[in-house]
Amino acid sequence: MEFEVIIGLEVHVELQTESKLFCACPNRFVPEPNVNTCPVCLGFPGAFPRLNSFAVQQALTASLALNCEIALFSYFDRKNYFYPDMPKGYQLSQYYEPIGSGGHLMIEDDQGNLKKVRIGRVHMEEDAGKLVHALSGDASMVDYNRSGVPLVEIVTEPDLRSPGESRRYLEQLKRILQYARVSDCKMEEGSLRCDANISLRPVGRETFGSKTELKNMNSFKAVERSLEHEIKRQGEILRRGEEVITQTLRWEEDKQETIVMRGKLEAHDYRCFTDPELPPVELTAEEVEKALAALPEMAETRAARFISDFSLPEYDAAVLTSSRCLADYFEACLECYNNPKVVSNWVMGELSALLKNAGLEADQSSFRAEDLADLLKMIDEGLISGKIAKDVLEKSFQSGKPPRLVVEEEGLLQISDHSELEAVVGKVLAENPDSVEKYRSGATKVIGFLVGQVMKETGGKANPGLVNELLVKKIEG
Amino acid sequence: MELRKISIRQAAETVNSGEVTAEGLIEKTLESCSILNEGLNIFTQIAGIDALEQAKAIDRKIEKGEKLPLAGVPVTVKDDLCYGVLPTGFGSPAFKEFFSPYTATAVERLMDAGAIVVGKTNLDDMSMGSTTASSPDGPTINPWDPERTAGSAGAAAVATGICMLALESDSGGALRQGASHCGVIGLRPTAGQVSRYGLNTFCSSFGQVGVTAISGENVITALEVIAGFDERDASTAVCKERAAGAGTAVDTEGLRIGYPAAAFDHLEPGLREVFEQAREQYSAAGFECIDLELPLLPEALQAYYVISLAESSSNHSRFDGIRFGAVEEAGDLEELYSKSRGSILGREARRRSIFGTHLLSQGSYDLYYRQALRVWNLVRREFAAALGQCDLLMLPAAKTLPGRAAAEADFLDAWTEDLFCAPVSLTGLPSLCLPAGQAGKFPVGLQLIGRPFSEGIMAAVCDRMIREIELFPYGIS
Repeated sequence: MEFEVIIGLEVHVELQTESKLFCACPNRFVPEPNVNTCPVCLGFPGAFPRLNSFAVQQALTASLALNCEIALFSYFDRKNYFYPDMPKGYQLSQYYEPIGSGGHLMIEDDQGNLKKVRIGRVHMEEDAGKLVHALSGDASMVDYNRSGVPLVEIVTEPDLRSPGESRRYLEQLKRILQYARVSDCKMEEGSLRCDANISLRPVGRETFGSKTELKNMNSFKAVERSLEHEIKRQGEILRRGEEVITQTLRWEEDKQETIVMRGKLEAHDYRCFTDPELPPVELTAEEVEKALAALPEMAETRAARFISDFSLPEYDAAVLTSSRCLADYFEACLECYNNPKVVSNWVMGELSALLKNAGLEADQSSFRAEDLADLLKMIDEGLISGKIAKDVLEKSFQSGKPPRLVVEEEGLLQISDHSELEAVVGKVLAENPDSVEKYRSGATKVIGFLVGQVMKETGGKANPGLVNELLVKKIEG
Repeated sequence: MELRKISIRQAAETVNSGEVTAEGLIEKTLESCSILNEGLNIFTQIAGIDALEQAKAIDRKIEKGEKLPLAGVPVTVKDDLCYGVLPTGFGSPAFKEFFSPYTATAVERLMDAGAIVVGKTNLDDMSMGSTTASSPDGPTINPWDPERTAGSAGAAAVATGICMLALESDSGGALRQGASHCGVIGLRPTAGQVSRYGLNTFCSSFGQVGVTAISGENVITALEVIAGFDERDASTAVCKERAAGAGTAVDTEGLRIGYPAAAFDHLEPGLREVFEQAREQYSAAGFECIDLELPLLPEALQAYYVISLAESSSNHSRFDGIRFGAVEEAGDLEELYSKSRGSILGREARRRSIFGTHLLSQGSYDLYYRQALRVWNLVRREFAAALGQCDLLMLPAAKTLPGRAAAEADFLDAWTEDLFCAPVSLTGLPSLCLPAGQAGKFPVGLQLIGRPFSEGIMAAVCDRMIREIELFPYGIS
């Protein structure tokens, strides 16, 4: 039997703000536990929440960037359940009336066609603390630094049809939210979290099959793999003629399998009701208009600008704008070194490779855009060759030292001194009489080999243009 | 200086002028507190040395020439209001030694104005009740009859003359019924007039901070100090645009007082006559008494309980043994919660939590909670319409005489006591309880309910009627 896969994703994203959603505590990661806390985010009796208006702005921006309708009047509800990381015993969340609804974003489907993925709702809520299990003994500890950090939850309609589409949805969502400057969306650091609802149905059937919910995926790859695993598992159950049990499953990355977290009967009744301590979130049509006008440039627009303003090929523009920080890096580099195509080649090539190996985003590397610009300037100034520059880039990237310092310390300055090079050229010519003969008989291409030999002798430091010039001069006498 | 014979303003003046020192005044007050506490069980904590230190600090300020509106005025603070100097007990044995890391805004404002906190007053189990009968420390005894409860310990403190001012809380009527049972003046201000930051309210929608004293003038003096916008309680935003407190001097001539005769049918036999007499006295004093109806009172009481039970189940979820109260030895989380919550919450608080949890559960929410919200709206409209026909409404505060201290009342009977107070809580309107007359040896109070922010008018009417009736101030020795 052929099955159609139905996937819906629920993504939690931490909003970038100075302070938490309902108090003045900093919204910043610190390793020391329970430092960024106060009576409000610790749920002390009598400590009332007060809404951070910038967080509302950020949620509004996120909703608009995802093409949502905006609720001018929304509010916060209490989702009641007990867990030690929940200081109040309830989470404040926009359960009944989300700030954004009816949005969408575009992805490529598995056939390479453009596809609209509908976003049912975007709502604000507060994050919980973190449970830390002690290495020794059986104690658990709670760190409330994260308690009250502003989140938006972004829920798709069941529009995704494969693990690949799901991954591309997440990539596109991340790109949009990064471009909108509402979140850094780093899944590995927990600023983007994803749960997946998945069910299978025989091709052609209208009604959905029973679904399971997957949790605890720590990367886009893990989302893709857990979905593949679950498709296989549900397919086997259905082929045996059995029914899929509605339950919540936890993805175990080490074992590449799922375990049951809770069944349908254990599902929470959150007893949601509107929070009586926070006033409603009220927006005016003018405020929404203003936020829409202020939406930062998105990837597609930026790519078009790169093509028209910098005459970059379409491919370059697409790669450079694939993440906001890479595009920012590129443009920052252009500020100091205005040769777009050269910068593009280096950013897409060597730099991206190094970033990928190190698992870093462009804005996390100590090798700044100014450093790259300086490196490229050194090539133009004839101080180093392009080949040496690649080594310098890598050394500078790894050590965090500025490229000029690396060149100095490692003695990599290009040899442009005539007398010094003439000696080497003489030596190479003497050692390769055959090549000299070939050149003289018209096979001038052999000059490349001779240049290479000089470069080898000098450890790559010779100025290749000058070497070429000296060789020709010497042979032609 | 006999505190009962002078106003708060006069007392502060004698301290400001140096005629009396705050220290001397407080020393004497603390002595009376200890003596009276023996018989009446008014205090959970008497401040002792801390109060004397504060008094000395006030004296030093006055020596330097400062004038403080409440210089040296002794106040009591109900033990559901956080006060960093003394343990804050919330009416739970688990919090006997809990020091709040912060002090409630209203307490802070009183202290900044020169008032001295002489003690924390007794309250019901998690402040749930209007009798003090469910207090873990036992009931506060009514100064008028050792067999009866006081209703509110702050009212008892004021009635005995040991204190000039009691800072209280009121959700369903604790403050007003206490004032009624003890023969003093209690003000529940307009919703949003006084910050509740630091009040452990079991019901955020209806819980308010108010004051009790022996005259309308005194409660207004206190209100002017504690009222006004506080960014830590969003509900005070209504005060942002207006000056805090009661406003300018008011003329009470020709005011119309709405008299919902049918409502008085609910009273215990023998009490109706007190209000009929009160009506005559108010008419004789020149007020125009207007007959009107408030037919929704019984439904309003039910709505109050549905909503406040629901909210209390959520508000008290934070008391889970993880951060507050003693963590009980337990095998797993479930057991830890049930054990800890079982010991932190007393019988009444557990009962209300269980009811509230049920009311918000799937299946009950629509039947009860949603219906209660509708009634809430209707009640607001009913009162607004009534106040369209008159300037003030007259209602009893309590249905019966104060309860017997030794007997355990049926909980439904106890809840029904709030018939006249709880509906007013739904409206957010200000209510002032003042003596109406006597039934046998017991004082009986009435509520004057006014339009939002009409506390000044109510206080002026109150003081005029106290003079007219010449029943008060009561003398208790």
